[in-house]
Amino acid sequence: MTQDDPIAMSRRALLQSALGFGALAVNGIMAAETQNRPDGKPHFIPRAKRVIWLFMRGGVSHMESFDPKPALNEFAGKSISETPYKSVLDASKIRKLRIPIKGDANGHTRTKIFPMQTGFKRYGQSGIEISDWFPNIGSCADDIAFIRSMWTSDNNHGAQIQFHSGRHFLDPRVPTIGAWINYGLGSLSKNLPQFINIGPRFFDKKDAHYLGPAYEAVNLKIDPKNPLDYAKSSNGMTAAEQRRNLDLTNKLNRLAAKQYPLDPVIEARIKSYELAFRMQTAVPDALDFSQESSETKKLYGIDQNETKSFGQQLLAARRLSERGVRFIQIMHGDGAAGAWDNHSGLKNGHSKLSRQVDLPTAGLLKDLKRRGLLEDTIVVFATEFGRTPGSQGADGRDHHSFGFSVWMAGGGIKGGVTNGSTDELGYHAVQAPHYVTDVHATINHLMGIDPHKLEVPGHKRLEVDFGHVIEDIIA
Amino acid sequence: MTRLFAIFLFNTVIAIAGVEEYLRDIKPVLKERCYACHGALKQKAGLRVDSAENLRKGSKRGDVLALGQAEAGELLVRLTAADAGERMPPEGVPLKLEEIKAIREWIAAGAPVPQSEIAEADPREHWSFQVPKCVPMPGNAGNPIDDLLEARLVKHRLKAQPPAERTILIRRLYLDLIGLPPTEKQLQDERRWESIVEELLASPYHGERWARHWMDVWRYSDWYGLGDEVRDSQKQLWRWRDWMVTSLNENKGYDQMVREMLAADEIAPEDLETVAATGFLARSYYKFNRTTWLDNTVEHTGKAFMGLTMNCAKCHDHKYDPIDHLDYYKFRAIFEPYQVRVDAMPGPLDLAKNGITRVYDGNLGAATYLHERGDESKVDKNRKISAAPPAFLASGWEPPKPVELPLEAWRPDMQKFVQQGFLSQKLAKVTEAEAQLEKLKLKKAAQKEKRAKSKSIKPVKGETILTDDFSKPRPDLWTVFGSDSRYQDDSLSITKSSFDTTYLRSKVNHPRDFELELKFKTTGGQKWKSTGIRFDVDKSGDNSHFVYTSVFGAKVHLAHTIKGKDKYTQAVAKRSIKLNQIYTLGLKVRDQLVNVTLDGEFLFAYTLPRRQPGAVQLLAYDAVADFHGVEIRRLPTQVFLERAGSGGKATVTVETINLAEAKLRLAKAEYAFGKARIDADNAVFRKEGNGSAETAGEKQIEAGLAKARVDLLDSKKTAEAEKKIKRLIADLQAEKFPDLEPLRFSQVSLINTPNKDALPSEGGYPRTSSGRRTALANWLTHRDHPLVARVAVNHIWLRHFGTPLVETVSDFGLRAPRPLHQDLLDYLAVEFIESGWDMKHLHRLILTSKAWQRSSSNLGADENTLAADPGNLHYWRMNVRRMEAQVVRDSLLHLAGTLDLAQGGPSVTPTPNARRRGLYFFHSRDGRSRFLATFDDADVFACYRRSESIVPQQALAMMNSQIAAASAKQIAALFEPEMSPEVFVRAAFSKILSRPPAQAELAESLAYLEVQPKREHFIHALINLNDFLMIR
Repeated sequence: MTQDDPIAMSRRALLQSALGFGALAVNGIMAAETQNRPDGKPHFIPRAKRVIWLFMRGGVSHMESFDPKPALNEFAGKSISETPYKSVLDASKIRKLRIPIKGDANGHTRTKIFPMQTGFKRYGQSGIEISDWFPNIGSCADDIAFIRSMWTSDNNHGAQIQFHSGRHFLDPRVPTIGAWINYGLGSLSKNLPQFINIGPRFFDKKDAHYLGPAYEAVNLKIDPKNPLDYAKSSNGMTAAEQRRNLDLTNKLNRLAAKQYPLDPVIEARIKSYELAFRMQTAVPDALDFSQESSETKKLYGIDQNETKSFGQQLLAARRLSERGVRFIQIMHGDGAAGAWDNHSGLKNGHSKLSRQVDLPTAGLLKDLKRRGLLEDTIVVFATEFGRTPGSQGADGRDHHSFGFSVWMAGGGIKGGVTNGSTDELGYHAVQAPHYVTDVHATINHLMGIDPHKLEVPGHKRLEVDFGHVIEDIIA
Repeated sequence: MTRLFAIFLFNTVIAIAGVEEYLRDIKPVLKERCYACHGALKQKAGLRVDSAENLRKGSKRGDVLALGQAEAGELLVRLTAADAGERMPPEGVPLKLEEIKAIREWIAAGAPVPQSEIAEADPREHWSFQVPKCVPMPGNAGNPIDDLLEARLVKHRLKAQPPAERTILIRRLYLDLIGLPPTEKQLQDERRWESIVEELLASPYHGERWARHWMDVWRYSDWYGLGDEVRDSQKQLWRWRDWMVTSLNENKGYDQMVREMLAADEIAPEDLETVAATGFLARSYYKFNRTTWLDNTVEHTGKAFMGLTMNCAKCHDHKYDPIDHLDYYKFRAIFEPYQVRVDAMPGPLDLAKNGITRVYDGNLGAATYLHERGDESKVDKNRKISAAPPAFLASGWEPPKPVELPLEAWRPDMQKFVQQGFLSQKLAKVTEAEAQLEKLKLKKAAQKEKRAKSKSIKPVKGETILTDDFSKPRPDLWTVFGSDSRYQDDSLSITKSSFDTTYLRSKVNHPRDFELELKFKTTGGQKWKSTGIRFDVDKSGDNSHFVYTSVFGAKVHLAHTIKGKDKYTQAVAKRSIKLNQIYTLGLKVRDQLVNVTLDGEFLFAYTLPRRQPGAVQLLAYDAVADFHGVEIRRLPTQVFLERAGSGGKATVTVETINLAEAKLRLAKAEYAFGKARIDADNAVFRKEGNGSAETAGEKQIEAGLAKARVDLLDSKKTAEAEKKIKRLIADLQAEKFPDLEPLRFSQVSLINTPNKDALPSEGGYPRTSSGRRTALANWLTHRDHPLVARVAVNHIWLRHFGTPLVETVSDFGLRAPRPLHQDLLDYLAVEFIESGWDMKHLHRLILTSKAWQRSSSNLGADENTLAADPGNLHYWRMNVRRMEAQVVRDSLLHLAGTLDLAQGGPSVTPTPNARRRGLYFFHSRDGRSRFLATFDDADVFACYRRSESIVPQQALAMMNSQIAAASAKQIAALFEPEMSPEVFVRAAFSKILSRPPAQAELAESLAYLEVQPKREHFIHALINLNDFLMIR
């Protein structure tokens, strides 16, 4: 190329390079042409190969899950300003907040201290305290790193977007952690998409944003008859008829390729059809639990009404991870805001919701462990924010973004540790505070990704987007 | 960067030690981390670090390198400072240790300067910031596009491909210009190329096809919200879409379209169809935050029209372009006053169904301030910022002049069609009330006749089951509950108002079919004063039916008590019940049918859902009452009962007639008032007619009186109505008339309004508009604006060729390198402006060029050309493009003959059965078509360029979706079944791919049909071909 033609890489060369590598993103056989997308290889040696991301929509109370606060019982009914910890309300400490909906009924400072609604016990060799609503997760405490010092800056449920993308509800939408992993790493499967979402979403039904549609999560339903959009013929073609049609399509496409030599699109199209055909059976197969033993189903709580639904999602997650799916995003909690949003009746609500997730989640960890999958699978248990130490109404807690808890386990994560802490009231993350993207940074680090190398031209990433690796929980 | 650097190295003779390291290890770091503040764009502290020479010059405070000194110079001190406030760079992580080491070593080596190192150029000299100039034509190929492209092909010894086959070209042209594939007949069109181009440019479908492109660029989105709450964008935004279609079909100048989108409310305030263009601004509406709203407006006005990333200057000075932090807020100030409202459109006066979303300057007094670091909670109120474009581009900017708006714009109710529509609505109500009254009168007459007939039949009485005149206690007949009943004055009195806690229950059960008369008077009570009787009372007393009269409720009503809870039915007769008047309540019950009478007058009939005969029980609820007698008899079979549903609300009484008459008087008074207020408005604002505010005020009071007189007939409102009548009459006599309020045929979607200017006061909306957006529009469309025409031309070129001339279509700033074909881009931009921003002229120019008509195949391509330019940067062949999502769907339906080609109107729900063209689909944050989304439909947040992905979901959609399967079947049905397989295959190829099958394709197809004779399946395979989805 001559010197007045300074465009770095030709379109075709680019496509060829994208197609040349073995490890192709399955749901992005060919992505937007303008992007110089990564080669699908990790930037350094990874500790983990995949992520199972469990997200509790609505805001789980940290003080009734993983962060015991005896002071709440001691000062129950008192105003925060009557306690020795009144400085938690200092204006300088609550400056981080960006309020999206002014004058909304939710997201207020709640000052009347509400006692813990359940007890805590120590579990495992590590003796980590976990609430009585999560006894099964407690039984896995030695495999888990609990992060008790998360914070975010949105005190409304737009924080769900923030937890996934790192950006506030009022900021422009950017790709979520799942989309970045999908974008950054090649596929481990020939038959399945590598980024899957199961469960209800509300606030942002998209993940990839500027990365383009090729990197969106593929939504699956726990319904072996109709697990995926357009996965079943709508004119009753049999599998054999479809195969015959596909063979004709492929033959004719290959003949057309003779008229259009060096057209990378044709080969990509043929591959996409072959993959689609395999997905039609691979997806229902991944969701076919009849191959699982009743012992396993029991482990996930599929035999009980209360735990069945989440148990099925998690068993699907394990089956998908065995089949090479990179990032499995599981959402729990219906409704616009999310079921965990217990502004009233917290005891009733949280005790019920925790029963839905506790047994299946522990089942997942145990099952992954005994199959040797936990070593290279990161399991994340997260929520958009915690709940206020003060009561809302008679028996609820409001949204609380200054301090809350999440946990991580598996691929490269230390077990039986806690990281960071909130103050005595559970108000602010005081020790080792972590913004939500620290969780992303930790995942990237374990998956072998340097996120600074994933910038897309024209879309500047900010420092805050990258977060900091939580070194102390890395094994 | 490393590649450019390699070239640089190659060309440079390296002699001095340390230079290589400077170029390799230091310069890239400085460029990445420091140039933005210490380069050509800005020179903070007077320091530039964009060349070794500049580094040696130091800052305004002097030397920064401290060459030959033991102590580190300012540069190293600041790079290594422990204090984050001192350290450079101020943002992001500190420089790495090895980077600092390299700098230290370079300084120790005496900071050697590379030969001929050039510092950064002045960003204002960036190619796209210079006014495009017409270039001298290098050749005479006929079409200037070919002249320019061929000159470069010749220069690089590249050989162009021949034109594509005629049918492939015709398909390409149809899909390109109207987004629908050609029919067989159109495919065989033998007219001159120019004639076909002309015909398609004149097609009404052309506007639809290209409107969808501009909907991407201008980020069309229907509204999003919960329930009726609008959170994002606006309802009725489709009018803006229709304006695009119409404008493109009319070939309105691009400059005029830009002006209308930004300022139609100022430049054409009386023309609502044009004002709809401001949907571009209304689309940025965002319920939760005014700053987010305006950020979107600033960002996308910058990107869509100028290819400038203004948004990068929201928090700090732009890192690459000469746009500083303040420029961002100056640009925001242009939009600060604008708000969104919904006005009425001609037709039904209904804002929800027939409104227009448009913008107007509402917050005229709102000031714009700088947000420190883009944080809206840190506003610098020391300085009011005035509206202006970025300083470096400000040439051609005329300061805004406030615009005096015509009456109809600031008082939308004064539009003639609103006045007329309003009066017709009022008149319709009069007509309706008249008809209602007439209907009731006729009905009453009919009822009277019927009643007279039934009375003439001699009544038959059945066996008496229970009779009591309540002159004395009859423990043999009744069980008494509660303590507040007493026998006195020949009657049984309930002496204390309670909620049905004192009552008498019969000891015998009534028969299944019975009639009953209860004589009673209500003498007092707290509120409801309800008296009546229960029947079908079971042993527990928890289940029964009851009929009661209510003084307060002014009604006779039937209800059930089920498991102790009262359930009220629709069986009710409005009837004023007076205190201390004796009434006889009559019941006739046969099976489930009940007839209720009061003083012998039939009230209603009702079917009980289920019943079990039981006791009767006297009822006084919230009432003090006297019972004078009760009699229960068997109901003889010959007694006639009215059918259920008759009577009740349907019974016409004197009171019903009175009410209807009062309502008619009200309708007439409201019409008179409506007319008087319009007359008054016309007299005041138009100097027309002799209306006056006084007359209108008088009519308003009269309407108020008429309303009060309607209320008077409703016993719940009587007291209030009486007071109101007194007050209104006094006002009328004192000639104390109310102020007139404008008619509300306009609604505002305001948020964060710092002043009340924006709200429609009694005077209407603000009478002037700031003129800021007109100033913006005029500046953008000034012929010397260097960016606007180039950006538009680039978008159009992209959509004809598949690749743009400037790769970053929404960023023409410093990160966009000088394009390879700048001469072509500039020629087209100048030609565009000089043709009057004529888009059809541009299309014509492009579509008649050889470049556009080339084959898209590499087949037979010159080897050298393929090797030298495999990416086709020189347009030596055509690019292959995939059909956009809408074109895929529209084409399938069009081939199947099921596409509904109706134009315009509200967005349609994207169901699989919808048949309108894709651009009419509802397209918003949560309401999108799944099928279209699979094929890379536009992102609703921003879509300057569609993605062209190939994913298995697309294959699944084409294999399995209903739309694909049904279309395949319908297409197959269009071929004669008698066709031989070969004729069929040829016809199918021609229809779906616009080309004949090659010999091998024919053979494969026939082999397939041997095994699978179902022709719809063959068609299904064809629409799944890459060649169907691609524009060849």
